Amino acid sequence: MRKFFYAEKGLFLQSLHPLAALAFLGTMLVLALAFSHPLYLAGIFLVAGVTVWTAEGLETWESYLKIGLVMMTLIVLINALMVHEGRTILWRGPLIPVFGRITISLEAIYYGLAMGVRLLNVISIFCLFNLIVHPDKIINLFSRFAGKSTLVIALAARMFPVMAQRYENIRAVQQIRGVDFSRGTLKEKVQKSSLLINSLILSSLEDSLEIAESMQARAFGSGPRSRYRRHRWQPRDTLCLAGSAVALGAGLAGLFHGFGAYTFYPQMGCLVDGPGTVAVLLIVLSGLLAPAILNWGWHRCTFLRLKI
Amino acid sequence: MHLFKVENLIYFYPDREKPALAEINLVIEEGEFLLVAGESGSGKSSLARALAGLLPDFYGGRFGGKIYFRDREMRKIDRRRLAREVGMVFQDPEKQMVMTGVEAEIAFGLENLGLPPAEMFRRTAEVLSFLDLGKLREEFTANLSGGEKQKLALAAVLAMHPQVLICDEPTSQLDPAAAEDFLNLLKRLNEEMGLTVVLIEQRLERCFHLADRVLLLESGRIVLDSPPEQVARRAGIKDIPFLPPVARLFSSLGQTYVPVTVKEGRKYLQHLLSGFPGENVRFLSDQNKTGGKPIREKKQGKKTLLEASSFAGNGGKPPLAEVKNLWFTYPGGKKVLENVSFSVNAGEFVVILGENGAGKSTLLKIMAGLLKPSRGNVFYAGRELTGSNGRCEGRGAPVAYLAQNPNDYLFHDTVEEELLFTLKNFGLADDGIVDELLTKLHIERYRRTNPRDLSSGERLRVALASVLVTRPGLILLDEPTRGVDTRLKGELGAFLRAQAKEGAGVVLVTHDAEFAAEYSSRIIVISAGRIAAAGNKHEILENSLFYCPQIGKLCRGFGNGILTFDEAVQWLEPLLRAGQTARTGGAPAGASE
Repeated sequence: MRKFFYAEKGLFLQSLHPLAALAFLGTMLVLALAFSHPLYLAGIFLVAGVTVWTAEGLETWESYLKIGLVMMTLIVLINALMVHEGRTILWRGPLIPVFGRITISLEAIYYGLAMGVRLLNVISIFCLFNLIVHPDKIINLFSRFAGKSTLVIALAARMFPVMAQRYENIRAVQQIRGVDFSRGTLKEKVQKSSLLINSLILSSLEDSLEIAESMQARAFGSGPRSRYRRHRWQPRDTLCLAGSAVALGAGLAGLFHGFGAYTFYPQMGCLVDGPGTVAVLLIVLSGLLAPAILNWGWHRCTFLRLKI
Repeated sequence: MHLFKVENLIYFYPDREKPALAEINLVIEEGEFLLVAGESGSGKSSLARALAGLLPDFYGGRFGGKIYFRDREMRKIDRRRLAREVGMVFQDPEKQMVMTGVEAEIAFGLENLGLPPAEMFRRTAEVLSFLDLGKLREEFTANLSGGEKQKLALAAVLAMHPQVLICDEPTSQLDPAAAEDFLNLLKRLNEEMGLTVVLIEQRLERCFHLADRVLLLESGRIVLDSPPEQVARRAGIKDIPFLPPVARLFSSLGQTYVPVTVKEGRKYLQHLLSGFPGENVRFLSDQNKTGGKPIREKKQGKKTLLEASSFAGNGGKPPLAEVKNLWFTYPGGKKVLENVSFSVNAGEFVVILGENGAGKSTLLKIMAGLLKPSRGNVFYAGRELTGSNGRCEGRGAPVAYLAQNPNDYLFHDTVEEELLFTLKNFGLADDGIVDELLTKLHIERYRRTNPRDLSSGERLRVALASVLVTRPGLILLDEPTRGVDTRLKGELGAFLRAQAKEGAGVVLVTHDAEFAAEYSSRIIVISAGRIAAAGNKHEILENSLFYCPQIGKLCRGFGNGILTFDEAVQWLEPLLRAGQTARTGGAPAGASE
């Protein structure tokens, strides 16, 4: 469970300013959602993988990908069965009322796969966020604009692992008191779970009062708050931000000129339909790889380590 | 000018008819170290909250009388100013953290005070360094140990530069080493930085000697307010249980001088026993051999060691529970238990001691059937545990397990329903067990009360009753003595001992060596997942530097084999009487101030 949460490992990527880290992850997310070209989507997946590797998070990524792959399979299956726009028919099934004749086309499978990769990208970006961004840093960044809301988020972020642990404890206690969660009808199982949740909520409400008391004792709400800033903007942040800006600029400009988009139906287009497709892709990937490249340089080049 | 002056303070929590504080008149001077003692529900925490300005503002309720802080009425002082002057550390470190990271947690209070960033940075850096938390600066609060969490809570308060530090049972959730560490820190803050400290504590053996003054509360009223030595002396007359064992012993023996620390006690004991040159006292704990009476034995030279009482055999029957070659590794690869083997017979009261993270709780969970061992087996009455919830094939519920947090057991509207819930789940009828347990655990009057409205001690008893209704053969308890007052601890110990006498096997995990010495029949010490020592309580505790109870430390070298209060009284009383007779007969003086 713990691997799903941020852990301080003293990594280069974890030392980025939250704004630079958010700009990098935000750019990746925007591009992953904007591009539909399989090569571009695969490229972003590759960047995500390399960055996860530099963030020493391959094990965590694997857990995320397991969930992602299950969802990807579902997307491919549903898309292949439901979309009848492809021309290259691989299998012609029976006629089903309302849905019509079931056909599976190569294009529909291909489109499902591309959308699956897009989903893996989004999941990988979320994984990266958990690996490299300390939640307090983000909260700190946003507290300037919405102090109370970010505090609520901070409290929720802190309470999540506590609640997960408590859930386990209450479940164990109920097991010892004879509740068998694996037996019974669906209704009975729901009833058992509701008792568990009931207990969890009661305890959480009691705890929240104590946390509130501790906040009150530390002058919370006694007047305007100031903001504790600890993170300084460094050259590494400028370089990462520049990389993200280049990737975003090139990606959006490419999309405007038709690169990064792809035609799946009725028949698949050509994967590489000109040097422009490759050029834009390379610029986007180079920009997105900036944090990973800087990390590599930071480890190997003393000059870079001292200067950035 | 007094720091605090409390005049006729009376306070009722909302919807309560009985006052939590009544007629409190109190003066606290600058730089004092005040220790507040008393039973659960005696008003200690309420007094702390009142002094921190949390009553009645945070809780509501009815409030009468006045509290002055530096001659200004407290309720008229701006809350921000008050928070700068008075800091409070609460009981449970888990429930006072707000932020996810260590540094942000320390800065939280400073942000609330509206301090400029440079000042916040300076204070955070200072306090991290002072409390030696620097290496944890970037750490998540969730990953800290209990001791580190409580230190962080203290750091977060100290960063606000308070003049007064109020600590409400800050060590109740910590293991002995972390607790000692925390209390020493408080003493340092008091002595080196002149901070006024108001400390509320249950386990007085650790902090009695640190205080300048001890305040004893009973039903919301102050019944004693004196320096520790005077409280110790008067305790003998008033029969106050809230004393460290050393002081309680000398006080109950009617001594005019009552030492409060082991060091003072040993010095005094040496003085008392100086009337018996060349003579050693031997004490046998085995009641069958001596009828429970200490025997004096003339012996030359070396001191005699206690003969370890052997465990009663089990008449050829398999033991009630047996743990064989148990290994446990968490899926993440963390090894918690290594080749642990032991058995528990019916009628035994086994205490498991060990540092935090030693694997004690994991062991208990495996014995309860809640975790599957990686290797090895657990047997009940010769049959292997196969069920997922402490059940063996063809048996009802042979194991009762009380987890660390009793609140996890309470979710029904009445106490009675909690007990009936377990019975229903196991398909058992109430054959009078509900009444029996409610009476035995003194919670009969709360039968129709919502368990969440009860005090923590009462909740513990309801949780215990809710697992004992199945009449289990083996009772497993995970740190039930944590944060529990002396009286309740005594009641719990006596209850469990009675359960053992009736034929149950009791296995209890605790950090409380005093409790272990008093009630257990056997002790197992676990360290880093392995059994470091196992045997008769006298064998284990007497020779332990760390787990030896205060009475054991006091008597070591004088009267070997003595661990408990009763044993010490049985040993010392005749000696002192003999010394008295000798003195009146003209023999060399033995004792007395």
